[in-house]
Amino acid sequence: MFDHHWGRTITHGDNVLFSTAMCNWNPMYLNAEFARAHGHPDMVVNPMLVLCTVVGLSVEDLSEIGGPFLGMEEVRFHQPVYPGDTLTASSRVVEARESQTRPHTGIVTWHTKAHNQDRDLVVDYRRTNLVAKRRPPGA
Amino acid sequence: MSGLSALTGSNNYFEDFAVGRRMRHARSATVDEVENNYISKQVMNTAQTHWNEQYLAGSPLGDGRLVFGLVTGSVTVGLASQDTSENALCELGLDAVRFKGPLHHGDTITAYTEVLEAADSPDRDDAGIVRFKHWGRNQHGEVVCEAERLVLIKRRSHWAQR
Repeated sequence: MFDHHWGRTITHGDNVLFSTAMCNWNPMYLNAEFARAHGHPDMVVNPMLVLCTVVGLSVEDLSEIGGPFLGMEEVRFHQPVYPGDTLTASSRVVEARESQTRPHTGIVTWHTKAHNQDRDLVVDYRRTNLVAKRRPPGA
Repeated sequence: MSGLSALTGSNNYFEDFAVGRRMRHARSATVDEVENNYISKQVMNTAQTHWNEQYLAGSPLGDGRLVFGLVTGSVTVGLASQDTSENALCELGLDAVRFKGPLHHGDTITAYTEVLEAADSPDRDDAGIVRFKHWGRNQHGEVVCEAERLVLIKRRSHWAQR
């Protein structure tokens, strides 16, 4: 189990920069009046930014040692995030196995959850990476 | 705010997503300093493969900075967003996200979509749930990422006159 470092308050600037840089010009993320007309208190934070931020918070604990990011399963956005909300993340290992093709690495799957400042679950997912072994065979 | 429907397209409501429909999205995007180097740091991805030009020099992964997989995925979703989620109420989730090969600074992504499923929403009658499959190709035509994406999308019958 890992409680990841730092936490992150998502700002209007984060949301606008990310959404425009990613060509995701959706008015729900970039037009506050449009978002309010749909019952939101403010522009909605692009869920892909929420996902990128939560993965980012987890990298030092989980995957910075190296090995490709293979994929994700069961990513679920449980509720909207608004500018000013603060995200924190934690992960637990759900599977760790040997790589059949690369003896110097293993394949690890984590279940990560992120909550806002009110402890509401905002996103969870399973993520799988190749991870280097501390002592490779023959070392 | 009145005239909501004037701000978004009229050919991308729930009713428009027939299962099996395929799209090649109109615009491609080159991934460079803002998209990868900055966004990786913005989201506090501490892996320097994404923002240290020297770190992988001479490695089998290729020289230069590797693009963070979720940046590749986010650009692919972004390029697909006008056609697939301009009239969305919300994003529900992603499944079967796969990063198929490395993307480097200066590479260009083109996005593709197939409609896998379209279903009623259990919670509301003014919208339906569409499962898309998206994939992104680099400038050489190689698939670099793919994902299934669940989106709650407005029905024309309820929203087109608002």
